[in-house]
Amino acid sequence: MKKYLLKRILYLIIVFFVVSLMMYSIYNLIPSDPALVQMEPLRKTLKPDEWTRQYLELRSQLGLDQPLLIRYARWMGFMRDVDGTFSGLLQGNFGYSVSYKRPVVDIIGTPMQNTIILNFVSTILTLAITIPLGIYCAVHARSAGDSAIQAATVVGYSLPIFLISILFIYVFAVLLRWFPTGGAKTPGSTYTGTREFLDRMYYLALPVLVLVFAGLAGMTRTVRAAMMDTLSQDYIRTARAKGLREKVVIYSHAWRNALLPVSTSIMGWMISVFTGGSLVIENTFSLNGTGRLYWSGLNTTDYELVLAMQMFYTLVSLVGVLLTDLSYTLVDPRVRIDK
Amino acid sequence: MSKEKNTNASKKKEFFLWRWIRRAFFPNKELDIYTEEQLQSPFRVVLKNYFSQPIAVVALILFIIIALFVFIAPSFVTLDLGEQDSTLTSLAPGYDMMKYPKELEENGVVDISVGPNYSIGVDTLGKVYVWGKSKVTKIIDLKDVPEEVQAAHVVRVAAGSDHAVALDEEGTIYCWGNKRLGQLDLPFELQTNNKRHRMEIIDIQASNQFSAALTADGQLFLWGNTNFVDLDVRTQVQKHVKQVALTMNAFMVLLDDGSVVNPAYTSSSTVQKVPEAAQSGVISIAGSTNSVAALMEDGSVIVWGATTKGENLVPAFSAPAVEIEGGRYHYCARLENGEIVAWGSNRYNQCDVPEEAQNAHIVKIHSGSFQNYAVDEDGHLHNWGLKGFILGTDTLGRDVFARLVNGGKMTMTIGAVAVIIETIIGVILGGIAGYFGGVVDMVIMRLAEVISSMPFIPFCMILSAVLGTRVTIEQRMYIIMVILGILSWPGICRLVRAQMFAQREMEYVVAAKTLGVKEGKIIFSQIIPNVMSVCLVTITLAFGTSMLTESTLSYLGFGVPLPTPTWGNMLTGANNSLIIQSYWWNWVFVGAIFGITCICINLIGDGLRDALDPKANGR
Repeated sequence: MKKYLLKRILYLIIVFFVVSLMMYSIYNLIPSDPALVQMEPLRKTLKPDEWTRQYLELRSQLGLDQPLLIRYARWMGFMRDVDGTFSGLLQGNFGYSVSYKRPVVDIIGTPMQNTIILNFVSTILTLAITIPLGIYCAVHARSAGDSAIQAATVVGYSLPIFLISILFIYVFAVLLRWFPTGGAKTPGSTYTGTREFLDRMYYLALPVLVLVFAGLAGMTRTVRAAMMDTLSQDYIRTARAKGLREKVVIYSHAWRNALLPVSTSIMGWMISVFTGGSLVIENTFSLNGTGRLYWSGLNTTDYELVLAMQMFYTLVSLVGVLLTDLSYTLVDPRVRIDK
Repeated sequence: MSKEKNTNASKKKEFFLWRWIRRAFFPNKELDIYTEEQLQSPFRVVLKNYFSQPIAVVALILFIIIALFVFIAPSFVTLDLGEQDSTLTSLAPGYDMMKYPKELEENGVVDISVGPNYSIGVDTLGKVYVWGKSKVTKIIDLKDVPEEVQAAHVVRVAAGSDHAVALDEEGTIYCWGNKRLGQLDLPFELQTNNKRHRMEIIDIQASNQFSAALTADGQLFLWGNTNFVDLDVRTQVQKHVKQVALTMNAFMVLLDDGSVVNPAYTSSSTVQKVPEAAQSGVISIAGSTNSVAALMEDGSVIVWGATTKGENLVPAFSAPAVEIEGGRYHYCARLENGEIVAWGSNRYNQCDVPEEAQNAHIVKIHSGSFQNYAVDEDGHLHNWGLKGFILGTDTLGRDVFARLVNGGKMTMTIGAVAVIIETIIGVILGGIAGYFGGVVDMVIMRLAEVISSMPFIPFCMILSAVLGTRVTIEQRMYIIMVILGILSWPGICRLVRAQMFAQREMEYVVAAKTLGVKEGKIIFSQIIPNVMSVCLVTITLAFGTSMLTESTLSYLGFGVPLPTPTWGNMLTGANNSLIIQSYWWNWVFVGAIFGITCICINLIGDGLRDALDPKANGR
């Protein structure tokens, strides 16, 4: 087990560096020159050759004249930076955001918190609804209730999340006026304590609802398929033949076994929601989350911020895949991953 | 001998198969036993299975209809990407812009004035009618004619961009509509007109938030929004004005000596530079958006100003012109012999004078915006031009229907090309990995893992943002296709690889190897065709996913850039409560067709999966 874990982590690290190198090279395709940005205002005050000399000096000061690999190593923190210290990603220096005029570390705190709250609440809710629903559908397969749920999930599963958001805004915010159309808190409010929490939840309700609805369809189908598969196994027939109660058969014999394929898709789904889904949701509802930060970073060509966020996303999905594999042993003791 | 054995075997089978078939599909019908026993190719079985599922068949038919519609309709509904019109923004769906009330025609038309999206008419009884898209804001609707106007005997009307003006027989001027920029603030002289200094007003005109009134003794009064136009009239021209013509941001007058002059103190617009020919001998003038037309004594027409859409290309007249009217980008003239000639922009058929109007003896024409009305000597009304938009227009004045079909073509093309790229890469890499195994397999599968472990949408966004900055819109579209294809092949690759493992040990592969067939040929022309049917489900669903991803990217602004429409970027601005509620046609139609398409693709995928499932046949 330990050996396997070490192997996996090593593999994760290698992939992380491969991806980061790829990202860094892509990022360097952008024709941007920080030295030129700094020197441009001086172009009129200095003589051309003097300006060029200073410009080249600044470039070497900033380390821009080095080849890509060296710049990558410096950015990552493998090599001493131009000022002689190690100050890369590994040392916790995520770069400097041009649009916020602050280090990236300082700005990603609040959005990260918001995104995690949003995802946490919606994941818990989705799973709380999906798993019983999926099991119900599988047990009562081809009944009227199952067919109705299947038809509804096809709709939820096919529609893009932004379309669901627009529909939900129309129904719940515009027609029924139950929830606000966007934002994170009542504008201008200075609530504290419980009041602040409630206000926040009120504003989060609609985004969470959309995420739950969008996740519901796909997950219910997965749970149903996995359960259907397990329920057709011989050991279920045996369990029933033994005269076990139906509840025991379903929850203890079938569900434990169906959990394996389900856990894989839960993790995959959570990663995709955390990266893609929240990007759309946060933009639609103008929430200050990581997705919106990433989006605005790309729009304002604030690439150090974007690069840091991209690394964060990559790490999240790599760790997610690792956790999925590890969760197999938790879910199913028969799976021995160290072999 | 073998034949006999065969029939025996089948007889044995016949009995239970026959029963099974009867119970499953034809509960009350006798079936020819030989039909079932006929050997069917796997393809036909799949087809039969597929078409036995009603939902999947309906989904397939719907999808084919939408796809055909989206690929054929753009050749009829052409889209001019640069086209937008500030006067046609956010129009509701419907063809009601030229539906004048029948009552107006029956009572006899006295005057009609055409505004940007609505028209006003007045009949011989002095009753005012408003038709078309008269809603200016959520609250202000020009159809709500004030009561004093309804009570008065109106003789002339004028339609402005967001206000309307009416003149009654006593010389009182009424204004209603949007008043935020002084559109309704009548000059003092006109406010008190019916009481003391009684002036005889002969004409009223209204344009882009400003209006003009002309008295019989040649005095000109102007009021309205002064941000676009300087409304002060030079004192030299007062008491000599014979006619006034308004453009979007200027006004010109015809003096009693037959010359056209700029009555304003300022001269900023090109229409205010009167050409030599129009300095004398003019009998009538008409204004368009940024140009003015003058009708000369000899019946010819001169046009000057910023003529961008062919307003200055006056056709040869068969007889001298006697009346001229201006629309937004076109002019309409009535000739002495009753013929109607229209020229300029013909985008909405505003220059295609209908046959029955040509044949009738027209006595008066009223043109404006994109519409024309002509009254013949019997009092019948003929009209031609822009009827409206079937699905309305968006916030920039673009036709939603045209964007819907062209955007659909774009979205579907991108989805299809991305899937083709994805399939090619996936099949080649999966085939190689599965057939050879070992190191090649390891390398390819690690690569697939790296790619699938990257967060998909953020990665697409950064690629599109980085690669898309230095290219044209068209190249960016191809880049999106390639990005989507390159980032989503691992799914198909894994599937093909797994199938390959099973197939490569089969007899036909061994036979091919023994015969010395090249390995590349074995993989791609022997094994892959056998594997493709299994991939079909994945490919179908991947097409849906590609369309979804493309539209999500476009929605976020990192896919196909505007103004090129796709179903995704048409929904970009729709998350705002004003558009969601008041301008619902901006998102409802595109949302519906996109949603239906996605649902259909998923249902087709599900249907295919069931059809391909060997268990489905009960064998």
